[in-house]
Amino acid sequence: MSRLFRRLRPPTPDSRLPRIAIAIGAALLSLVLLALSGIAFGHAPGELLSILISGSVGSKFALEGTLLKSVPLLLTGLSVAIAFRAGVWNIGGEGQFLAGALGAFLGARYGMAAALAASLIAGALWASIATAMRLWRNAPEVLTTILLNFIAIHLLGYAVNGPLQEASGKYPQSDVVAASLPAIGSSELHAGIVIAVVAAIGAWFLLYRTAEGLRLRASGFNRSAAKWAGVNVDAQLVRAMAISGSMAGLAGGIELLGVTHRLFERFAAGYGYAGIAVALLAQLHPLGTLASAFFFGALTTGAGELQRTAGISSTVATFGQAIVILAMIALTRRRNA
Amino acid sequence: MRLSHITKRFGANVAVDDVSLDFAPGEIVGLVGENGAGKTTLMSIAAGELAADEGTIEDRLAAGVVHQHFLLVSEFTIAENLALAMWGRNAEEIIHDSGIELRDVSRRVGDLSVGEKAKLELIKAIARHPPVLILDEPTSVLAPTEARELFDVMRRLAAAGTTVIFISHKIPEVLEVATRIVVMRRGKIVVDGGVMSAAELAEAMVERRAKRRSDSRRSDSLVRPVLARASTTGSLSITDLPSTGRTGESDLRKSDLRIAGIDVHRGEIVAIIGVAGNGQSELAASLRDSLRGHVAHIPEDRARDGLITQMTIAENIALAEPRWRPREAAQRAAALIERFNIRAQSPLQRAGSLSGGNQQKVILARELERQPEIIVAAEPTRGLDIESTRFIHDELRAAAGRGAAILLITSDLDEAFALGDAIHVIYRGTLSARLTPGDAADQAPMLMAGVGA
Repeated sequence: MSRLFRRLRPPTPDSRLPRIAIAIGAALLSLVLLALSGIAFGHAPGELLSILISGSVGSKFALEGTLLKSVPLLLTGLSVAIAFRAGVWNIGGEGQFLAGALGAFLGARYGMAAALAASLIAGALWASIATAMRLWRNAPEVLTTILLNFIAIHLLGYAVNGPLQEASGKYPQSDVVAASLPAIGSSELHAGIVIAVVAAIGAWFLLYRTAEGLRLRASGFNRSAAKWAGVNVDAQLVRAMAISGSMAGLAGGIELLGVTHRLFERFAAGYGYAGIAVALLAQLHPLGTLASAFFFGALTTGAGELQRTAGISSTVATFGQAIVILAMIALTRRRNA
Repeated sequence: MRLSHITKRFGANVAVDDVSLDFAPGEIVGLVGENGAGKTTLMSIAAGELAADEGTIEDRLAAGVVHQHFLLVSEFTIAENLALAMWGRNAEEIIHDSGIELRDVSRRVGDLSVGEKAKLELIKAIARHPPVLILDEPTSVLAPTEARELFDVMRRLAAAGTTVIFISHKIPEVLEVATRIVVMRRGKIVVDGGVMSAAELAEAMVERRAKRRSDSRRSDSLVRPVLARASTTGSLSITDLPSTGRTGESDLRKSDLRIAGIDVHRGEIVAIIGVAGNGQSELAASLRDSLRGHVAHIPEDRARDGLITQMTIAENIALAEPRWRPREAAQRAAALIERFNIRAQSPLQRAGSLSGGNQQKVILARELERQPEIIVAAEPTRGLDIESTRFIHDELRAAAGRGAAILLITSDLDEAFALGDAIHVIYRGTLSARLTPGDAADQAPMLMAGVGA
């Protein structure tokens, strides 16, 4: 497992162009394979492709749906990118997303700002449990963060069946959250999209324009050399993981405050894991994450349209994610060889 | 068995360089040399595990090899592991025949002590009665009594006609057990002979020029640049150093490091010399973790600890700075590239694309630029060409001239004598008394071998 992740090491600074070409190639490859898979269901590849495109960016409604999906993907993608840059395999986006949503729900009674702040803090704390276990017992994050996902899922399940269940007690879901993000104009879109874009630019600034980011990347590339250069790599790990967790937590908070307005059992719906694909396609670059989150957002809404009109399960979106990850691994590896 | 003109390269690095060697039955050959001298590579070729790039092997005999790293299945019991090696024979019988004591074959290998695992490896290797037995650093994990037990087994096998080849860098052991000693250095055989003294052996292992150079230095010490130095207050004083958990290539356990009483005054260079693996890495790592303030560290393992190869020169240099402004950092890096004469096209070049010597200069530039009060330099010129070496020596002297206290940890005697105002010898984690270079020239080989004084 860790050898797989090692191959996904952050890219090196030179030769920027081929790296973008690799990302576009991987994205196109996943589209082509998705379209070809339609043959198995008795659809022409071209037909599937046109449904995918029209269902994701073909109309104002479709585009809004895509953008809505892109917001949590962008934030969980940033979360993964920051952690991977620091050399930490934070696979716990899902759990941190849920922790953030729970935090936002509880914080919302004190207003919108409190709700967003609580989602950041809750995500950071949830991720920090994994850091604490690393520093205390050298437990690998790949394992602890995944296990923390399961705990978060069950914690949320308990909350919406117990203390946070709606007053009517009918469904395993919470009441409507006390605050909600303002809509943008007359659209379905909400202010979360602005927050997410600002977060992406902020993450870029952090990584490439601050001493903190320089040391974070140094520890990610070569922990030992960073240590000899005087970087406190343990402190770096603590902070990188907290920042990473807060991004995923914010994604959960925004999803609650802007889209679902209620907590329920299957709240995370895979955004945390999808963030890995988003970050990898973006080659762990925060600004690349903007494009990559939009691509996966479009893939998800397009897949929804496929299900409605062509009767193909929308889980093909997950298939697309998997292809992108595999293609990125294959292409990056060839470059190294 | 006869090896002739064996050469093996790994990339640009020549691990074994045109080596010819033959072995007779009944010999116990001590193959010694520092880490990276090519001993293990040569033996892997002899055992047929690695193909040589050039050269031939005549009368190849099957060799049993005991590797430095265990090839055992930890989930299996002793008996099961032996069954993997020799199907169909009773495990207790195999152990009994080997003459090595190892009780209770139903124990899981994962639960055995390191010494017991080493014994099991040895039993596996000799179970087939190979005509040649190669042992790669077998004593590194053994307690002294276990080592003696191993030597008895080796002598018994040799008496029965087996050729035993024993790779080690521990001089006293080799002297105790070997009937013939082969010394390798930088891929070549530099000594092949019978009985020799510890001092001769120690000298053969490290650079031979050392003694000669130190003699000449005593006669015309003016050749060396003399710099004004303020030796007023002790700037680096190490007493009872806490050791950290790093386990490197060395055989030492962390508690074995017993360093007390190094005093490096301002403007002084104190050299610590010794055969690699005697606690130098642990000493450097401890100092890295315990010294605070204006301290510069030049790490020993350049490939692993030196630069962040994926980042640019400017980024690497800026790691030591409190701030990161890309443009400022590029300008500063450009100035340092100029001053340290680093062969680089641009400060934005990836550090990993530089040659080893230029990478080392980048480290030096980064570490010296912040005017440290204390410098801990471990093997600062290992593997570098003469020009880079001279440059780095000059920079270190200049830093001392500015008043820095420098602790130089090196296995290159030339370097120690060229730079050191005082010298300590490190052996098995313990330091000798502070020696003047003159005294050290006489005593160092013995002290490095752990003999006398």
